Amino acid sequence: MKRTGIVTTLLFSLAVLSACSSPQSGGPEAGAGGAGGKGGAGSGAAGMNRSGADGSSLAGGGAGGANAEPEHRVHFAFDSSAVTGEAQGVLAANARWIKAKGSSEVVVEGHCDERGTREYNLALGQKRADAAKEVLVSQGVDASKIKTVSFGKERALVEGHDEFAWSKNRRAELRIR
Amino acid sequence: MFDRWLAGKWRVVLASLALLVALSSLAASPAWAIQIDITKEGGLQALPIALPDFVSLDPGGAPGLPGEMGRKLVELVTADLEGSGLFRAVPRAGHLQDPVSLWKGASYKDWRLVGAEAVVSGAVREAGGKLVVDFYLHNVYRGTLWGKGKRFTSSPADWRFVAHRVADEIYTRVTGEGPYFASRVAFIAEKGKRKWLSLMDQDGANRLDLQVGSAIALTPRFSPDGGRLFYVSFETGEPRIFRWDLYEGRKFQQGDYPGLNSTPAWSPDGRRMAVTLSKDGNAEIYIKDLFSQGLTRLTQNSAIDTSPTWSPDGRQIAFTSDRGGGPQIYVMGADGQNVRRITYEGKNNTAPAWSPSGDKVAFVMGGGGRFRIAVTDPEGAAVRVLTDSWMDESPTWSPNGRVLIFSRQEGSHTRLYTIDHTGHNERLVPVGDGIEASDPSWSPLIR
Repeated sequence: MKRTGIVTTLLFSLAVLSACSSPQSGGPEAGAGGAGGKGGAGSGAAGMNRSGADGSSLAGGGAGGANAEPEHRVHFAFDSSAVTGEAQGVLAANARWIKAKGSSEVVVEGHCDERGTREYNLALGQKRADAAKEVLVSQGVDASKIKTVSFGKERALVEGHDEFAWSKNRRAELRIR
Repeated sequence: MFDRWLAGKWRVVLASLALLVALSSLAASPAWAIQIDITKEGGLQALPIALPDFVSLDPGGAPGLPGEMGRKLVELVTADLEGSGLFRAVPRAGHLQDPVSLWKGASYKDWRLVGAEAVVSGAVREAGGKLVVDFYLHNVYRGTLWGKGKRFTSSPADWRFVAHRVADEIYTRVTGEGPYFASRVAFIAEKGKRKWLSLMDQDGANRLDLQVGSAIALTPRFSPDGGRLFYVSFETGEPRIFRWDLYEGRKFQQGDYPGLNSTPAWSPDGRRMAVTLSKDGNAEIYIKDLFSQGLTRLTQNSAIDTSPTWSPDGRQIAFTSDRGGGPQIYVMGADGQNVRRITYEGKNNTAPAWSPSGDKVAFVMGGGGRFRIAVTDPEGAAVRVLTDSWMDESPTWSPNGRVLIFSRQEGSHTRLYTIDHTGHNERLVPVGDGIEASDPSWSPLIR
């Protein structure tokens, strides 16, 4: 058990180091590519963190200060679940954050604006959550840790009935534990 | 009378002729219905009907002046009938025959003079904890009874139900349409951040809150027997299907599939549930056998498929899919075969509701930044947009397929409205207590 903990901490530190370097590597695409290259090591660390939860949470606390926490939210176009270039970058940063933190569970919530029917928006919100999950997985996050939940148009982030509010409300939110 | 006619063969022939006449006059009553159904520029043409208060009967059966019960029963019957848009109450001030005299025998010429085409006479008896209501419908134009007299017995507390039954009798005899007043509406009530399952009479009375908690509840759907509801609740943190048994006051979770579990729809035979699940990758429609719990997948593609609604014969399912780009209404067999698109007008068509009469599908037509209630036939012809607001949704049919109830967002308020399927007679349904209301589901008839 102790041995595993040490190995985990070591791997974890590597992951943190690699994660630290990526925000400085320029545009979102370069960042995403960088993380993708280290995906194997990252997911390996994440997988082992489950058995050494104590060690990783200590390391995670240290890493938080060194690496800026990304915004855990991405936005979508009307009636679309396509992940934009900007959202790709945000999600890639979240993938690095998740792996670095050794999170045990990630809930991806899908949300919609108030236009359109409740029923259709529930399905659309699910599609957005699933699309965001797919990016996280492609960036090395263990799929079995990710749960997707659609709230449809039930939980507006911004009250209002104009394009500004709508654009803010069409989103996927990541709850990382 | 028939005995006399049956005395000889010739008379049998006469009787057959009389029967034929009787049958053809029966067949003519829907013709009357069509007449009052005609939608002119001004809207529905309403039949003038006189509705005096019901008299009180003493234990010996002698009629006396109307009491409180006779007054409020007729008030509710009148509200139902006028609310349909197909009737107009003749003002009381003009009535020439008083209720007691009417109960003893209708003076048709007096009612013709005030322009009534029908008049209702009724009597109320309250004894031994029972309410007994008798009524007769008179055809003023023909100077005859319109159908037989009818008696309803209930507890006095259920007087509203009795009034709805009386109104249903009158409505059905005059219009030839099926009844709908004695029915309920399940809906989602909302106050602050809370949303819960609630139930009320179709006119907004007798609200009963079923599931008051902090979790969001959505899309209730009545079972064909009216005794149970499927709905979606987030009480586990994720959207899951629950069943609420109204008479037992119990709920059961119906499965726990990863991802989305939404839009439950009871099959007309009550044995199956059509439902949207995303467990196999994205929102697809499945049928769940409620006895074996077996799942059958009906749709297979990378697009959203959701909002299944059964044809009344249980053979077909209309649903929403964005497989063609934007969301549109499609119809498929209940086995998932023979898929065909039925909507082309409007960029964003969702939430279909198949009418209980089978000949229409209501849906929400989106386009130009607005979402309005529309109706088509199941082949996709004869599309008609009924409403003119910016965010109307969740259309659901009255048990007779004549009226739709739907929710409308107006600023930060969400309210329920009814509208005749012709697009006339839009009315706000009062829910009361400052409560927002959405996701209505109209029950079958209550009997």
